[in-house]
Amino acid sequence: MKRDHQDIGGGRGGYPAVTGADNNHRNSFGVPATVAIAEPSAVTTASSLLSSGVYDFRPIPPPIPASGSRGVYGADLPSEMIESPREPKRMRTCSSSSSSSPGGIASGVMGLSTENASSAKSAAGLPVVVVDTQETGIRLVHALLACAEAVQQENFKAADALVKQISMLAAAQGGPMRKVAGYFAEAIARRIYRRCPRPGSDRAALDSPALDDLLHVHFYESCPYLKFAHFTANQAILEAFASCRRVHVIDFGLRQGMQWPALLQALALRPGGPPSFRLTGIGPPQADHSDALQQVGWKLAVLAKNIGIEFHFRGFVAASLADLEPRMLLELESGNKGDRGDDGEEAVAVNSVMELHRLLARPGAVEKVLGTVRALRPRIVTVVEEEANHNGRTFLERFTEALHYYSSMFDSLESGEAETAEGETASAAEEQQQHRAMAEAYLGRQICNVVACEGTERTERHETLGQWRWRMARAGFEPVHLGSNAYKQASMLLALYAGGEGFRVEEADGCLTLGWHTRPLIATSAWRVTAAAAATAAVTAAVTTR
Amino acid sequence: MMQFTSRSAPPLPPLLPNGLGFCTDNADASKPSVHRSWPLPGLLASSSSSSSSSKSLGGFNNASCMEQLLVHCANAIESNDATLAQQILWVLNNIAPPDGDSNQRLTSAFLRALIARASKTGSCKMLTAVAARADADLALHIHRFSAVDLASFIDLTPWHRFGYAAANAAIAEAVEGLPVVHIVDLGTTHCMQIPTLIDLLANRPEGPPFLRLTVPSLTTTMAPPMLDMSYDELGSRLVNFARSRNVAMEFRVIPSDPNDAFDSLVEQIRVQRLVSEGEAMIVNCQMMLHYIPDETVVGAAMAAAMNMNSAMLSLRTLFLKALRSLEPALVTVVDEDADFTACDVVGRLRAAFNYLWIPYDAVETFLPKGSEQRRWYESGVCWKIENVIAQEGLQRVERLETKGRWAQRMRAAGFRSVGFSEEAAGEVKLMLDEHAAGWGMKREEEDFMLTWKGHNVVFATAWVPSL
Repeated sequence: MKRDHQDIGGGRGGYPAVTGADNNHRNSFGVPATVAIAEPSAVTTASSLLSSGVYDFRPIPPPIPASGSRGVYGADLPSEMIESPREPKRMRTCSSSSSSSPGGIASGVMGLSTENASSAKSAAGLPVVVVDTQETGIRLVHALLACAEAVQQENFKAADALVKQISMLAAAQGGPMRKVAGYFAEAIARRIYRRCPRPGSDRAALDSPALDDLLHVHFYESCPYLKFAHFTANQAILEAFASCRRVHVIDFGLRQGMQWPALLQALALRPGGPPSFRLTGIGPPQADHSDALQQVGWKLAVLAKNIGIEFHFRGFVAASLADLEPRMLLELESGNKGDRGDDGEEAVAVNSVMELHRLLARPGAVEKVLGTVRALRPRIVTVVEEEANHNGRTFLERFTEALHYYSSMFDSLESGEAETAEGETASAAEEQQQHRAMAEAYLGRQICNVVACEGTERTERHETLGQWRWRMARAGFEPVHLGSNAYKQASMLLALYAGGEGFRVEEADGCLTLGWHTRPLIATSAWRVTAAAAATAAVTAAVTTR
Repeated sequence: MMQFTSRSAPPLPPLLPNGLGFCTDNADASKPSVHRSWPLPGLLASSSSSSSSSKSLGGFNNASCMEQLLVHCANAIESNDATLAQQILWVLNNIAPPDGDSNQRLTSAFLRALIARASKTGSCKMLTAVAARADADLALHIHRFSAVDLASFIDLTPWHRFGYAAANAAIAEAVEGLPVVHIVDLGTTHCMQIPTLIDLLANRPEGPPFLRLTVPSLTTTMAPPMLDMSYDELGSRLVNFARSRNVAMEFRVIPSDPNDAFDSLVEQIRVQRLVSEGEAMIVNCQMMLHYIPDETVVGAAMAAAMNMNSAMLSLRTLFLKALRSLEPALVTVVDEDADFTACDVVGRLRAAFNYLWIPYDAVETFLPKGSEQRRWYESGVCWKIENVIAQEGLQRVERLETKGRWAQRMRAAGFRSVGFSEEAAGEVKLMLDEHAAGWGMKREEEDFMLTWKGHNVVFATAWVPSL
């Protein structure tokens, strides 16, 4: 009983094809054919919940020690499961046959109710069942997907039951899968109970941009994704700025400005001497009205002064990038006309690291922003985005895609730690663990947003490189190939410091992706305005400045 | 939407006392450990740590900035600060192309060495595929020279010719009137000094002596330049050449290696000395002695094998004492004047950066860009840099010491310095005239020092057993 999941989810074929040989993943999604088919008598179908009884799952058998305690997991399964009108016959059959069940795992059906358990226990000295992690992992995935489908069909009662089941299964699981399942379960629960976290609510403190920034920094430290984003984008910007004497970088999400020290240093020491550098940093409003942008700007200014590069900074606070007006940023340039001297025109780079996808929450926003970018006549536009389609039409599509994506993500975080150096001190290892825990929280918030929120609140609308290519082309941009230099550098840096052997840098049509094993997770691309679009923009600019 | 325009600055954050970066955001105590500080090479350059020599490489800021970035990178690698190391490696990759100016090529060589070092440390896992690719990129093709190629290669610069000229003059003077001369040639350039010496001996007014030449063939240490023929073949060529100059010559090769202080060579010579008493023996050390492990390299196994407390074991001391016991008539010691023996990589990096800029600077004057010889020349320097930075233990063979230190060792082993004659000085100067104006020579007491733009490059000293 194996469903063909190929039709679910977008991008690279959604739910991964069943491959028994896929042993690289620690938490394998692939369902080996044997499990799906074997032991039909022991399988409790969820046909009451699903239209086509496909998501087979079996409750985990609690190990039954001789003392007769209820077992590790304590709580019973929800009564709905036991009392489901379509089920009892099957379940009774199972329990009565438990003592002579063919396989060890089959006896696990006893876990359904305490009475069953104790009766079965007394019937025969049943051995403690050893839980197979891989198998419980598979069951966990199945439970999650079953739950999502229930939500999609608005069968919230069943979904709620499944959420509880998931928690139990997750507790039996270890490692990254447990955490991922935990976040997804919590997110579904929020969705069911309409508890999508929104800014301004009583949970505001936990949702503040300051906390988000903090988690972001830990995410930056604990895994290579953001570092990869920065190197690759900086490489494109550095090359685009070659021989320009005045440069202007517009950062769509300044945060702590961690991308810029390396670029400033490279520009400061480039042959031919440094350009004058201007940075425009954009950030969200701060709950405590502090001027976070300006603080970052000043730190970078101090750095720039010390490494000998002329530096100017301007911060823009914007709740959404769509609030930016081209004239505002253009005015910026013309306002400084007096200071230009004869160094020539300012070369502009627009840099967006995981910011564009938020715009997809409001219709027309991304088009407006790309129009603004065009109007700035940038030499280069660097775009880094999560490589996934979490913006599919249906909830189940998005859920399935996200489950796959974040499982790979969490897996990669975990492995980085397993390979710490022998020489590393205990405190360094501890620090790594702290980074990882915060990074997981950072990703957990994304999961929550993808699963629990809708409409304008669902901002984590990741789309794939292919989808972004289409958008950028439609908005009048053409790709700038990132070049073999960028690829070699990224590969080398990753090889030295990736922490886990599963990371892969790949080149895809001039763009670079970083992924975990076979799954690309983040993609960097670079763009410039097409000649045609530039001509149109020039005309528009000429008209509006009149 | 709000827009903050620039306003008066908050007080500048205090700099950490070691100048390693700017302290970030002291106001927010909850996230101090999270923020990075970026090292500020400009600031550090003003604090005297970089020597003046690097400044002569065109642009004060550039050379010392490169050095500081390399130092910070080395520190980041040593302390497993992956984020900072990656960032600096990225910057260096971009500002130091391997085909740029002298500064950039020097920095690029150090960058490659640091990457090689990083790939060996515990926290780095060079993925096999990438490692293979990196190796292909980083791999220094060690060219195998033919004798003719090597000879003309050596002649390009005074780097080796200086030591040859001084030593040959001293040797010729030392063997005046002697009928038999035994020379033990401990050099890194495969007897390239010998043809000139043969010529000198051939033109003696009293006629040439019988020349016995003993040479070790290295078994383990493989430093460039490499020769494409066996020492047996080399030897027969030399003998033929000598014959053509009417000099009777015997050539002997003894497999021996500096990493055990030339133990087998010394023993063979000792035996041979018993047989041919009264023969004048000259030991000519041309940049070979620094391959003998110094006190900082002590293998416990080696110590146990020699039945000594490892702290007392010094192969250099052992070798020089053994040499003294052979009662040589003259020992010439020529080597590169720098100290690469620091135990910490940062110390070695500074020392190497502030010495090996010289070959990169000098090459501009005698080899055009893109020439094959230039590639060989620079890859030889790269090999040294990679050895000093990326290797440890017995693999790290480039353990240079300064003239002062070697002189100390020689005196402690029972030698006294005799220096060189005016004729020798004249020979050296004549040789230098054939090369670029930047090369010079100065006398330090009895010793000679080759200089490039006034900086010490190679020293030449001459010793006899003290009574």
